[in-house]
Amino acid sequence: MLKRLSALLLASSLVVGLTACGGSEKSADSGSNQSGGKKVIKMLHWKQSNINTVLEDINKQFEEKYPEYKIEYITTGPDDEYKQASRTRITAGDVDIFADLSGMRLSPKEWTPGAKVPDWQQWIDSGLIADLTGQDFIKNYVPSDIEQAGTYNGKVYGIPTGKVVMSGIFYNKDIFAKYGLEVPTTWSEFIKLNDTLKENGVTPIGMAGKDVWPLKLPAFGLQAHILGGGDQEKFIEGVWKGTSKFTDPDAVEVLEKMKTIQDEYTMDGFMGVDYGTIPSYFATGKVAMMPNGSWEAPTVAAANADLNFGYFPIPATENADVNKALVGKYDMTWYVAEKGKNKEGAIKWLEFFSEPDIYAQFVKAAGFLPTMPDVKTDSKFFDEEVMPYMDGFQLAYEILMINRENVGEHLAAEGVHTEYLAPGGEFKTAKELAEVQQKEWDSAAPKQ
Amino acid sequence: MYPFGRGSKRLIPYLLLLIPLLLYVVFYAGPSVMTVIYSFTDMKNVPGTEVNFVGLDNYKSLLFSGNSSERWASIGRSLYFMFVVTILQNGIALLVAVVLNQRLKGDKAYRAIFFLPVVLGVAVVSLIWSLMFDPISGPVQQLYSVFGYKDTFFGSFTHAFNYIIFVQIWMYMGYSMLIFLAGLQSVPRDLYEAGHIDGTSRWQAFRSITFPLIAPSFTVNMLLSIIGAMQTFDIILATTDGNFNTRTMAYDVYKETFRGSLDMGLPAALSVLQFLVVLVFVVVAVKQMRQREVEY
Repeated sequence: MLKRLSALLLASSLVVGLTACGGSEKSADSGSNQSGGKKVIKMLHWKQSNINTVLEDINKQFEEKYPEYKIEYITTGPDDEYKQASRTRITAGDVDIFADLSGMRLSPKEWTPGAKVPDWQQWIDSGLIADLTGQDFIKNYVPSDIEQAGTYNGKVYGIPTGKVVMSGIFYNKDIFAKYGLEVPTTWSEFIKLNDTLKENGVTPIGMAGKDVWPLKLPAFGLQAHILGGGDQEKFIEGVWKGTSKFTDPDAVEVLEKMKTIQDEYTMDGFMGVDYGTIPSYFATGKVAMMPNGSWEAPTVAAANADLNFGYFPIPATENADVNKALVGKYDMTWYVAEKGKNKEGAIKWLEFFSEPDIYAQFVKAAGFLPTMPDVKTDSKFFDEEVMPYMDGFQLAYEILMINRENVGEHLAAEGVHTEYLAPGGEFKTAKELAEVQQKEWDSAAPKQ
Repeated sequence: MYPFGRGSKRLIPYLLLLIPLLLYVVFYAGPSVMTVIYSFTDMKNVPGTEVNFVGLDNYKSLLFSGNSSERWASIGRSLYFMFVVTILQNGIALLVAVVLNQRLKGDKAYRAIFFLPVVLGVAVVSLIWSLMFDPISGPVQQLYSVFGYKDTFFGSFTHAFNYIIFVQIWMYMGYSMLIFLAGLQSVPRDLYEAGHIDGTSRWQAFRSITFPLIAPSFTVNMLLSIIGAMQTFDIILATTDGNFNTRTMAYDVYKETFRGSLDMGLPAALSVLQFLVVLVFVVVAVKQMRQREVEY
């Protein structure tokens, strides 16, 4: 009996415990914030070499200018590991300044009953984030950027350090020139261009289906210009209120256009290709185009320094004027912890960071579009290929969309999941997928 | 005869055992019990927020809400994973162990090679197979092309999960093999000799001598692979990240805990649910196995 019991105990001990150890972990109090007579500022960030390097450099300059401070720059692995580390440290008061992956988003509205409150908002509501309203350095940034990505309940809590664009398509200028092709400005021109490439034996598009999320990037462009007749916020509010549906012609059109891109023009087997290898297909001319975010420009250039490439917004509709606005999001955003041991130091650092020449060093290395006016990035790619399309810049669907809690997997993570379309997925037509999405949306409705 | 002396000194070993026991209680039993308690609350990972007892709400939201069909699908997939992995992994491991037990030339090298994937670890193994299963230039696709077959491997809704099962078995087969091998080597040779004199065939010898005598290894292997299979989320995380119909209960626990919201009740409830499912199978398996163990 004892033998059996111990086998059971062994078994059970192996199973339970994952959650408990994950959630309630508290990091030890590090005691004093003094180090050799200097006041320590604890800065938390994820590992991303270009940004880490420039921040270390900026930190050094800061320490030279303000010798009374010492910065402890802590980096963790990205994504889940960072999320866990930041949650733990913020709740334990063991950090003074930290970065978040994007600007404020997903905050519930009065028309979104039952929507989940995002982490950053819970932190602010619990008094864990410092109020930056009225700090002088905020004036250095574009007011609308601070308003859209760093303001909550009329108070400034976050500093968005830059924007990225996501709805563009990288194209190989040499291949385009070879076949006499021009940058398409309408959907039908885009289709014609793809057909010409195919006829000449060139694979038009390279895209990574295995990671699933890269398929969202061109979809963002389609969604921004097609949903709600070009007003995706209207569409989003409509699906909550029941005045628009995922089966509406505009929503189905987005799925259909994605299906066309995926089935007709994207390389064979793209559903098994992972994101990291796609730039090499593009850089070596194996595909003529690559829908991707502006952040991949350095990777492409590094993969083939001689490559002559450009960038254009995916032409979602037949209206060239509408099509030319790029879609994107705010990237890394700074928050100061209210309960940290050195809030003053953190704000001092942010002030230093926000000096235009320091900020310029950062934004150049990070590869973001600046959120500070008149800051030059010295990037030919940005100046020639991206800036012409920045008028009417729109936030991406995944930033604006607020999901219902427990919504099904065909709508999860603020996406429309075109990977479920045939031939990779089970849905033969866009309409079928749209119907499942609407059904999942309805069944996730909060119970009265 | 009395290494710890007599009288009150006999208590010393128990006192010494108390130290690790205390560590287990504080760092294992405690959190485990807390997980069960959390699962009935709306606790959040934000200090200062109040914690309410919400009864079975978390369980209801897991099993009977908008996306519960996915949860049931995860449970189904976990069970499928467990059965296929347990049967194939142990079947193959036993076969390999019996063959290696023949004292072949270089058996030690074979043993080391088959055990190697366990040493490599999940990250390396997943990377190896992601490269092997590259749909454009991977060697497996090139092999498939000979037969005119195309696949997107870890990006395929229909096949990705089976490829993950394959990787799991490939990785842990050596582990089960080693346990079987240890069991096989403890079977006394004279039993075979006696059997040989009585004119047993090789199959009879295996069925009546080997198999009953390695029953303890069998029990251990079954338990380890059942628990291991039900717990696997790392290979899934590293290969498909739960996309393409590859989510299991264990993956969902990881995802809800580390990637979900700040809620702690829901992931706790999911852990408890997973524990209960594993418990049922482990109890049944232990019962069955123990009956078969014999001593000659």
